[in-house]
This record gives sequence, C-alpha cells and structure tokens, in this order.
Amino acid sequence: MTRRDFVGLGTAAMAMAGAGELLIGCATTQQAGPGGLGGGSDGPSNSIGYFARFGVTENLIRETLAAALSRGGDYSDLFFQHRISTSMALEDGSVNKAFTSVELGVGVRVVKGDQTGYAYTEELTLDAMRSAARTAAAIADGPSRPGPQSFHLFKELPQRYALKVGWDAVRPEQKLPLLEGLNAAAFKADPRIVKVSLSFSNEYGAVLVADSNGRLVEDLQPMTLLGLSCVAEQNGKREQNGYNVAGRAGFDFYSPERLDRIVREAVSRTTILFEAVQPPAGELPVVLAAGSSGILLHEAIGHGMEADFNRKGTSIYSDKINKPIAHPFVNIVDDGTNEYARGAINVDDEGNVPGKTMLVENGVLTTYLHDSISAKHYKVKPTGNGRRESYRHAPLPRMRSTYMLPGPHKHEEIIASVKKGIYCSNFTNGQVNIGGGDFTFYVKNGYLIEDGKLTRPIKDVNIIGNGPRVLEKVDMVADNLVIDEGGWTCGKDGQGVPVSQGLPTVRVSSITVGGRNA
Amino acid sequence: MSTTNNTNLAEVARQAVDLAKKQGASEVAANAGRTREVEVQWRDGRLDKISEATTRGLSVQLYVDGRYSAVSTSDLRPEALERFISDSVTMTRALARDEHRRLPEPELYAGRMEVDLAIEDPNQAKLSAEERQRIVRELEAAARAVDTKGAILSVTTAFGDVLRETYRVSSNGFEGGIRGTQFFASADVSAKDSDGRRPEESDFAVARFFADLPDATTLGRRAGERALGRLGAAKGASAVLTMAVDNRAAGRLVSMLLGPMTGMALQQKRSFLDGKQGQKVGSDRLVLTDDPHIQRGLGSRLFDGEGIAAKPLPLFEAGVLRSYFIDSYYGRKLKTRPTTGGASNLSWKLGEKGQAALLADLKEGILVTGFLGGNSNAVTGDFSLGVQGFRVRGGKLAEPISEMNISGNQMDLWKRLVAVGNDPFAYSAMRTPTLVFEGVQFAGV
Repeated sequence: MTRRDFVGLGTAAMAMAGAGELLIGCATTQQAGPGGLGGGSDGPSNSIGYFARFGVTENLIRETLAAALSRGGDYSDLFFQHRISTSMALEDGSVNKAFTSVELGVGVRVVKGDQTGYAYTEELTLDAMRSAARTAAAIADGPSRPGPQSFHLFKELPQRYALKVGWDAVRPEQKLPLLEGLNAAAFKADPRIVKVSLSFSNEYGAVLVADSNGRLVEDLQPMTLLGLSCVAEQNGKREQNGYNVAGRAGFDFYSPERLDRIVREAVSRTTILFEAVQPPAGELPVVLAAGSSGILLHEAIGHGMEADFNRKGTSIYSDKINKPIAHPFVNIVDDGTNEYARGAINVDDEGNVPGKTMLVENGVLTTYLHDSISAKHYKVKPTGNGRRESYRHAPLPRMRSTYMLPGPHKHEEIIASVKKGIYCSNFTNGQVNIGGGDFTFYVKNGYLIEDGKLTRPIKDVNIIGNGPRVLEKVDMVADNLVIDEGGWTCGKDGQGVPVSQGLPTVRVSSITVGGRNA
Repeated sequence: MSTTNNTNLAEVARQAVDLAKKQGASEVAANAGRTREVEVQWRDGRLDKISEATTRGLSVQLYVDGRYSAVSTSDLRPEALERFISDSVTMTRALARDEHRRLPEPELYAGRMEVDLAIEDPNQAKLSAEERQRIVRELEAAARAVDTKGAILSVTTAFGDVLRETYRVSSNGFEGGIRGTQFFASADVSAKDSDGRRPEESDFAVARFFADLPDATTLGRRAGERALGRLGAAKGASAVLTMAVDNRAAGRLVSMLLGPMTGMALQQKRSFLDGKQGQKVGSDRLVLTDDPHIQRGLGSRLFDGEGIAAKPLPLFEAGVLRSYFIDSYYGRKLKTRPTTGGASNLSWKLGEKGQAALLADLKEGILVTGFLGGNSNAVTGDFSLGVQGFRVRGGKLAEPISEMNISGNQMDLWKRLVAVGNDPFAYSAMRTPTLVFEGVQFAGV
C-alpha cells in the first residue's frame, strides 16, 4: 500500500507535473559553492561539473558516505538532483499561465542485503547530509565500514539525447507563437471544436550518483511534453479527446510535421467520438493497433517482470524464467537506448548503463528487469532498470521503453482474420495486479471489426485480462512495429517515471471487453 | 533566509511576498511548507525498508501586469531564491494578460471559523522507532495467523507518520497556517492459488491521531482474510446485476462524480454536470455535504488553498445537485460567486443498515471490493471500470470474482443508487459507506 493510495480527495492537481526549465536560470546560473555550503577545505573539483552545480565538494560526499556506512551497510549511494521544470498552458485562446519548479536535493541510500535505509535532504550542508546518512544507516546494525577514499568519474556514458540547443536558451517568446499556432489550427480544422487547451513543458534535470565504491556518474536529462486537448460540440452533445507527444529532446523536436500531427490527431480523435458506440460486453477477439497499444505489454508482462516482485515471490512470473509463455514469434524487449525517446536513459538512477533487455525471446521468458539489489540477489549484472522519480525516493526496478519486435504477419491479414471483434488504437491508462496477473487498459478510440473489416468507431471501454493467459492468446503479430511518441508516465509505489511503449499490430484471440449489451 | 529545521514558515512566506513585490509583482501569495515523515516497512519476518525525511519548499503565485504564473522551489539558498523570483517575474511578463487572474476578493477570507479542528496529534513526536517496528511486526503476525493452509506467500507491512505544516501569506491581507499529523498502517498479503496465480490483497488505515488507528492485530487479520478470500477467483458471466460496493472501494465512484463538478470542468465544457445545478441527477439516497470542520477529519480545514474561508457546502440533496466547486479564477470566468476549489471531507446521509444486512436484502448480485483501472469520461459521464469482488447468492457472499468489468453512464448510475450503508469508511476524507446500485452491466465471460 503506497502513500498515494491514502490520498482521498483533491488529487486532481497533477496535470502540470513534468515540465522543464526555460528562462528560469538553468542550473548553470547557480553560484558555485555559495558560502556555508561546502563541508571541508576541498574546493569543487574542476573535472566534475556537478560539484559546482550542487554546491558540494568531494570531501563532503566522502564524509556523507562514511556516515552512511557507520553501521556496517553493504553499500551506499548518494543521488543528487537539480531539476528545473517549466510548463505553460493555453486556455481560451491565450497562454496565460506558467509554472516553474526547482528541485534540489540529495537522497542517501544504505543497502544491507536486500534491506534499504533511505533518507533525503534539501539542504546540501555537511550537517544536514550527515544527519540524513545516519538515518539511512540505521537499516544496518554492525560495526562501521570505511567509505571510499577516492572517487573516479565514470566517463563511458552513451549519449542518447544530446541537444543542439539547451532549453535554457529558448525564450518564452519563442514558445508562445507555437502554442498560439496550434490553437488556431485546431479551431480551423473543424467547426465543431469549441474549446482547445494546450500544455507545454520542458525540463532539464542534472543528476549525480556517488557511491561507496568511489564511482561518480553524472547525466543531464532533458524532457519535453506537449499536449493538445479539445472539446467538440454537435447537436447539443459534447466530446473531448486529445493527443500528446513527448521526448528527451529539445525545441527542434517540434517539427512542422509533428505539430501538424498533433492537431490532426487531437481533432480527429475527438470528432469521431460523435459516431462512436460502445462495443458489446464479454469476451471478444481484440486487435491492437501498432503504437501505443504497447500498454498491453507494460501491464500484462512488464510490471510482473520487475525483479523486486520476483525476488519476493509475489509476481505471477516468479517461477516462469526459461519457460515458454507465448507463441515463438513473440519477442518483447525493455530498452533504454531509443534515442530521444521519453523512456530513454544514458544511465539509470543507480549509476548503471542500460542497454536493451530481452524479456521474452521466441516466446520464452528470459530475464527480469533488475536494479542493483535484485541483480545481487539473482547473481546477475544489473540491467539498468533502477529508476526513481526524484531524490525523494529510493530506486526500484522500473521499465524504460517496452515493446514487441515485429512478427510474421501483415496488418491487413490480421484485420481480415477477425469475424467479430474490436480494433483498439488509442488508450488513456492501464493498471495491473502483479500477483494475480489481472490487468486493464482503457480504450479511448477504436473500431468494431465485422467480417474482417473496420466498421463503426468505438469509445470509452475498459479491457480486462490476465497477463500470462493473454500473452498465450497473442496469436498474430504484424511486421509494423511503432514506438509511441506519447507522454506516458508509469506509477509504482507512489513514484512516477517517464516511459515509452510500442507494438506492431497484434491479435489477441479473446479477452474481456467491458462494453455494454443493449 | 535561514534554511534550517527551525525555519519560521510564516517568516519565509512573508519574505517571499516582499521579494516578489520588490521585483515588480503587483499581487503575490506565497506558501511555505515543511513535511516531516517517517516510514517503516517490514517483510516476511524482518525490516525491509526505513525511510525518513524532511521536505521543505516554497510556492509563490505571481501576478505581474495582469499576467500570472506559479512557481515553486526547494532550493532556498538565498542567492538562488532571489534569482528564481526575479527570473519568474520576468517570465510572467512574457505571458498573455488575463483579467480574471487576481487574488481572491478579500471578503472571501472573512468568516473563518475559530475552532480547533484537532488534526494534530501532540504525541506524534514521542513515537519511537521501537514502537513503529512493534506495529509492523504485529501486523505481519496477525495476517499470517489466519492462514491455516499455508497459502500465504509473502506479507509486507508498513507504518508511517507525517507532520505537515504550511503557512500562506497573500499581499491582499490573507495569513494563515495549518499543522496536521497523519498516521498510517498497512498490510499487503500475497497468497498462492492452485492455478499458479498469486493474488494479493491489503488492508490499511490512516488517521489524524495515532489512537484512531485500529489495533495492528485487527488490521493484519483483515488483510490476511482478504487475501485468502481471493483464492479461486474467476470470471463470471456477463450480466446485468445489482452491485454493492464496499465502503473502502466506493470512493472511486464518488471521485468520478465530483471531478466534473469543478469550475474548470464547467467553464472548459468538460463536465456532464454542466447546467445540471438544481436538477435531480441521483436517487433520493444521494445526500452529500462537503464538511470542512469535522473534528480529526482527514480533509478538515479552516480555509482552502486560496485562503477562502471554509464553510459547509451542500452538494446533493435527495439526488438534486446543489453546488459546484468554484475557485476564484473560474468564478470570475463563469461570473459566479466562488465556493471553494475542491472537496474537504464528505458527509453522507447514512442508511440504517450495515453491509451484511444490505447484502441480505439484495439477494442476488455482486459485491465489488476493488476497482482495477478503467476510466470515466468527464464530458459524457460514460464509464468503464475493472472490478473484483464476490458473487452474492441468497443474500450471502459466495465465490470470489475477478477479471470483470462494469460499464454505464453516471447520469444513469446514480439514479440506480437504491441503498446507502451505515458504515462510512473512516480512513478516507470521502467517508463513503457501502453503496448499492441496481441494474449494472457487468462484463465477464
């Protein structure tokens, strides 16, 4: 049970989360090591840019790690983060609201076996950091171990989201015309549109991981997200829908083609709802469109493959490694390497470099998604899936970009194969019970399939299935993989992290559709 | 500005208001806040995780030349803060003018009740690490004690406590602070089913006062029973049935009703309740008031996030929609007097019967104990939600069901509310009782 589950009312204010910095002093405007922040006599090391950013010194890090290991923890790491996020919103024709947030802090983690002590502070002084470290140290109960005496900067990081122009160099005046143009284009696209709202955010986060092995890893993590939402009216009825795009990218992400697509998709996905019906309730064949249908994988298998649930024995996949769980043409990966994708990372939040992790290879379950605790438990190398929302949270095994590789069938062949079923193309959310395996995803747009053809549009229907059983029922996979460009956020234990997902066109022979019977 | 734990929040907020005015803001409101929280997690016989932290932060609403922005920061280093506010004011000037963006009219601040809401437990600071660990240990032991067949795979229990303080200052005359504690306890239990599934269930409680939590043995036992109750769950046939919703789960339905009642939803034409004030949208059983002054209430407050004095607000009377949640901005846009931006505590007109008696009355149907995913379309009221729970046969709980779904439209659903329990769920500000709806579409096999 997470803290989030206890929040009763008034939790609607999350819409502006995620963001970026723009003019508000990208971290480079911070003073290096302002008075009173350093703990020792060492000045900021010239070789490590972030010490200056965070206003801390190597000596201060060394003393904090020593305090963290003062009760004999096996391992400790410090996660410094300085994240500046800005979002702007357009409503009723004008960009009349902006939000900026600055987060600066350090999380101290002490690991003993698979037990975790965690504390953080937003005050980067020696006293405050040492006090946090002693709190986290309490997970262990033994003689003090020495911290690292020297540090080395890990320099072999890949670069998966290099920006031509940093967000700090983009003025608000450059963004306003973009939003105003999208607003005008949406109204122009269809006379039924009565309201348009836009939110645009960008973020620049600096992270530094320092661990008890003396390793220092630093990364700069940009993110941008733009969403257009509209309400249409027809014969006294209203419908609402939208489209959003996101990536670890800069301002050039917003190419004319992408901006056109945002308007086209948001408007057409809304206006088609006037013609849409709800599909019948019960078990039906379901065809998932290429792209954001990857939400099926995220819920049906991804979460269940996160190694923390498996080392605890609570996942439905706990005893299924090396066993066939799907047709041999099913291959599923979780990948941190897709350049500029929302789910891409150069380094995870424990300082490990992620690659491409096969979850299912030729229908056989291959490996879990590991953080460093589970990797040690299973005696494997970490897969670079240790992620956290911010310095306020300890890392957990989390997905990055989860998708299915292309298969042997053709999109048209799959549609033509269904006599009576549904085709799902656009989703808003999903959820899973890890151990029982039941999962859902919510279909906002799709079509009925009748006699091998897409017929009437459908809307607003929840699909519910059981992970392993549904994977067995994935009986056709097309060759048209699309990784979705949408702004997906994955929630777990009250922590949200950005992810991507993708799928080729896929047929599930039967799954429960929460429609209505007339 | 000091940033130690002794920081005076009122002083921080006042300084931020001064700083913003100096940088050119015409109006400004600042909230300074601090949260101190401790959490202990226990799993399968040993400590799994401890975490402890103090968060502090400042958020500022800036009104500059008829333009608006909101900013927040945890970087309270003096140089950084000054630059932050100065940059924020500059950025705000780049935005469009909006005549509706102003601080609330000062008369809305008036009439604040001068009562002690009893939302801070003075004994929180005395809670020891040993006491927290005793609770999580007892929770596990109680959960395992109900398992006579060795079906339980793993038990994770948690206990935590929080002290949250905020202070708000606005340049047009509002000042007010709030301090409150919360304690929570939970037990998550996984069990092994004969077909290889590992269903999980939990129980939890959250309260303003430590003494208001149920004892660990009761809570742990309920979690164990709930998990074992999921064994053998299967999909039932698609059908239209009477649905009882457990008081703990019912908040999900209520939140999809309240969401479209905000000024933003109305003004942006994103509400199926637009234009329905004064109309009957539910059965006579739907009687709801927003009550900010409940002693020890999880949502209790003397003023809302804008400083508007909190007052009881009738929401539904005999199914008739009485009020919306209107903040000062959307109140101006809608040319209507603000009420408050969002709900505090809900106060229900309760029925006479508990859940067991309600199930005996309904005879055939489904008791929903949990929702899984799904959504409600705020514009049309159409919803589709995953559910799990139990069949009710002959007025009694029968086999567990899972992997099912309900669908409908809220304008229809709330008219089908035929019974309300006498059992408000104490561990949520929504305080929902068991709710019974007739004629709900379930999808399964």
